[in-house]
Amino acid sequence: MLERRTVSNIPWGMVILVIGIAMFGLSSVYSATYSESGISSLFTKQFIWISLGIIVMFAALVPDYHTVGRYAYVLYVLSVFFLILVALVGKTGMGAQRWLPLGPFAFQPSELAKISLVLALARYFAEDPRGGGYELRDLAIPGAMIAVPLLLVLKQPDLGTALMLLFTSSLIILLAGIKFRSIMVLAVAGAVLASAVFLVPPVRHKIWTSLKPYQQKRIKAFLDPSSDPLGSGYHASQAKIAVGSGQTTGKGFRKGTQGQMAFLPERHTDFIFAVIAEERGFLGASFLIVVYVVFLFVGLETAKGAKDRLGVLMAGGIVSMLSLYVCINIGMSVGILPVVGVPLPLISYGGTSVITTFLAIGLLLNIRSRRFMLFY
Amino acid sequence: MRQDSPASIQSRLPLLAIFILLFAVILFFRLWYLQVLKGSYYQELAESNRIRPIKIRPPRGIIYDRNGKPMVENELTFDISIVPEDASYLEESVRRIAPVVKMDQQDIIELIDAARPIRTKYEPIKIKEEASWAEVAVAEARQDDLPGVIVEPEHRRHYPYGGLASHQFGYIGKVTEDQKRKLAAEPGMLIGQSGLEKTFDKFLRGTAGRRMIQVNAAGRKVKDLGIEEPKPGTDLFLTLDLDVQRAAEEALGTRAGAIVALDPNSGEILALASHPAYDPNLFPRGISPADWDRLSNDPSHPLYNRAIQSVYPPGSTFKIVVALAGLNQGLIDPDEKVNCGGSLKSGRRSFRCWKRGGHGAVDFHRALVESCDVYFYTMGDRIGFDQIAQTARSLGLAKITGIDLADEKPGLIPTPAWKLEKTREPWFQGDSFINSIGQGFVLVSPIQAAQMMSVLANGGVFYKPQILKRTRNRETGEERIYPAQEKHRIKLNQDALDQVRSALIGVTTEAGGTAHGAATPLAVVAGKTGTAQVIAQKVPGRKLTESTEDHAWFVAYAPADKPTIAVAVIVEHGGHGGAAAAPIARKVIEEHLKHAGTKNGQ
Repeated sequence: MLERRTVSNIPWGMVILVIGIAMFGLSSVYSATYSESGISSLFTKQFIWISLGIIVMFAALVPDYHTVGRYAYVLYVLSVFFLILVALVGKTGMGAQRWLPLGPFAFQPSELAKISLVLALARYFAEDPRGGGYELRDLAIPGAMIAVPLLLVLKQPDLGTALMLLFTSSLIILLAGIKFRSIMVLAVAGAVLASAVFLVPPVRHKIWTSLKPYQQKRIKAFLDPSSDPLGSGYHASQAKIAVGSGQTTGKGFRKGTQGQMAFLPERHTDFIFAVIAEERGFLGASFLIVVYVVFLFVGLETAKGAKDRLGVLMAGGIVSMLSLYVCINIGMSVGILPVVGVPLPLISYGGTSVITTFLAIGLLLNIRSRRFMLFY
Repeated sequence: MRQDSPASIQSRLPLLAIFILLFAVILFFRLWYLQVLKGSYYQELAESNRIRPIKIRPPRGIIYDRNGKPMVENELTFDISIVPEDASYLEESVRRIAPVVKMDQQDIIELIDAARPIRTKYEPIKIKEEASWAEVAVAEARQDDLPGVIVEPEHRRHYPYGGLASHQFGYIGKVTEDQKRKLAAEPGMLIGQSGLEKTFDKFLRGTAGRRMIQVNAAGRKVKDLGIEEPKPGTDLFLTLDLDVQRAAEEALGTRAGAIVALDPNSGEILALASHPAYDPNLFPRGISPADWDRLSNDPSHPLYNRAIQSVYPPGSTFKIVVALAGLNQGLIDPDEKVNCGGSLKSGRRSFRCWKRGGHGAVDFHRALVESCDVYFYTMGDRIGFDQIAQTARSLGLAKITGIDLADEKPGLIPTPAWKLEKTREPWFQGDSFINSIGQGFVLVSPIQAAQMMSVLANGGVFYKPQILKRTRNRETGEERIYPAQEKHRIKLNQDALDQVRSALIGVTTEAGGTAHGAATPLAVVAGKTGTAQVIAQKVPGRKLTESTEDHAWFVAYAPADKPTIAVAVIVEHGGHGGAAAAPIARKVIEEHLKHAGTKNGQ
């Protein structure tokens, strides 16, 4: 439990950094959702989510992270259960089933799946150390652990989250240590699979037709933005105009024409970075990137200072996950990555994403606060 | 190195650090390129962002009757609108469009100024709704001269039968500020404000689409970039039968009143009429203040849905309740005769029977068939009004039925305790007398009366009065069926039920029966007339402008042996129930029975 020594070790600098990013995000959601009819209820909701998130973050400090590790599998099974439930009774949005109705709110189990998969993998590799790195056959069980939620999310279908699960898990496996030979085998297998998908017409056709129309559009639009001036090609090019037109110093708070005039879709969720870049300019946008880098490096420090495998893997896994979110979201907003629905941590609008992000950060703080403790 | 030491993992952390740094540097340079190097280029693009999303309102769902005949539809019309941001010289555009739409320039300017504060940028402002073909053609052809002027297609709500069932459909209107927030509706949208249009607005509304057009720097449309089709609203199939509904309303004619017809085997409503009606076609264009004033201040209350919102003294139809209460309790012996000499005394007051000369000695059957007041004074007094009230409630009176329409009124069933509390006066024997024949305090809505007959017809089953049968998604063809909902059952004494039913048949068939006007060659009709005196409406201080003619009631079900329809008819100030209301019920029943064999709405 929480001891005085742990409390005194809470990295308050990191807490302030996190809350600072969240407040900056809140102001951006305010700007992105403001309309002539006044403050949007989305802003109010996001404010509530962030407040709840901060409570969750501190709550995640209370139990020793070893206790959290003990419940990692339970959490994992629970999130898989929710994913199955969403497939059966979920609410549909944008052509995919992603939400579970929860009173007046909707809960997105795929967000919970991300953090619980990180924790479950961290525990698995922590308890199964291999001196010289893992062989391929050692990865059978974690592979299955990854595959189950991955396939369920893919079925929704939510390509963005599925990719996030895949990339995050891959980073965790790399951290845990994998034999070089195994990497090579996986790489070759991946290459073969990819070429089968792209080069064998029947397979390609099968996969292409299994995608939802909006996903087909997004892929087409990434390859040829002019093919879809209304859909994601439109999103991407409007986002680029928003970012670029912000120039060095930005157009000013609530002055962004792209965001304010609703040229920019999804401006309070996936494309919030474009609103920020438009209104705060190169200086503001790059400052935000620097702040994120600082935050992620403090996370890495936490992993480095952790006293045992579980701590390192948990912290490393969480940092991997958050870095991927940040990179992919911003990469998409500035037009160097395809448009996949990935939120910007602490900034994008969205209840489940805000809460799970704070939960993840709470666990980082947890590990960091206990870095001087002796176990055994 | 110990095997479970974290050091080996920590040795790989720098990989992650490099990944983060590398990506940050890439993003940094990308931002530098977009914002600093190409910043002014994108700035220009943003300023002349020439893509205008124009919202396309979705057509509302169509409302069909149970047999798939459209009762509420949409008509495609065109509006001429202006986007001030796109009009480089707004006054010039207004000056040119004014003669085309035959409007005053000043009026157009006022329209634009009034709309500005409540719109989002680039949202078109309508200047002429439902423009004629000639106007649309000119506006389209002279695009080059009319920067900022656009033609918007709109699906306008259309009620082909005018006032038919207008209270049930309700009307649509511009979304209010409050609704915008609560219902997530878009500004300017027309949404259901009453009736089914309101209850099922979620189904009917649909999802807006948009058309992307590219305009040049002067705001002229250069080309259409594409269209994202709106998703039409879900179609509703009601339980109403257009033919029965029409027969009902035609039979009621210009008289004020209400008709409810439902299927006692499912609670499905076959007809629901209220007169006077209004023309819902006044609303989809945005009703004019003058029309609205006229409708809402009309002393005949045309906006009022009398079938569910008006409560009336039930008159002699209430004798059914007294009969069931007495028979159930064994307080009425069907063979016992009561002598009706034309009136009955209570203290110094004398209470008259409607038949001046009296009915002579009548048993239960004759008393109900001939609607003898003295018999029911006697029995009502014997049973006591606490008991009668209990039976009335068990038959669904004084409670809303739960139909999917707003503002249903529960009516009133008095008890001695209620009277004491309300008027500070005790319950007199005279109260028992007059309330037993449905006068005094008793108030019943037409739908409650129909529900009561349905329960009598089916032997005690309460269904939710249902008006929506199924929905159909117009795009996917996906259907959802709303099956009958049994709410609860009451236990009715079979003997008592048989006695009452046989008397109700007598009402339309036997000599002395009060409703021969309801008899039809198509089936045996079981029913009861009611003639409710309007004296209660003589409120002191209010000028008596309305007629003091009695309200005419008729409640029935048919065919008597295997009922498929239960009906309640009330004609305000119609006079005698048997003369005014029973023939209307007959027409409704006949129209229903004519088709009953050939269609059942499946």
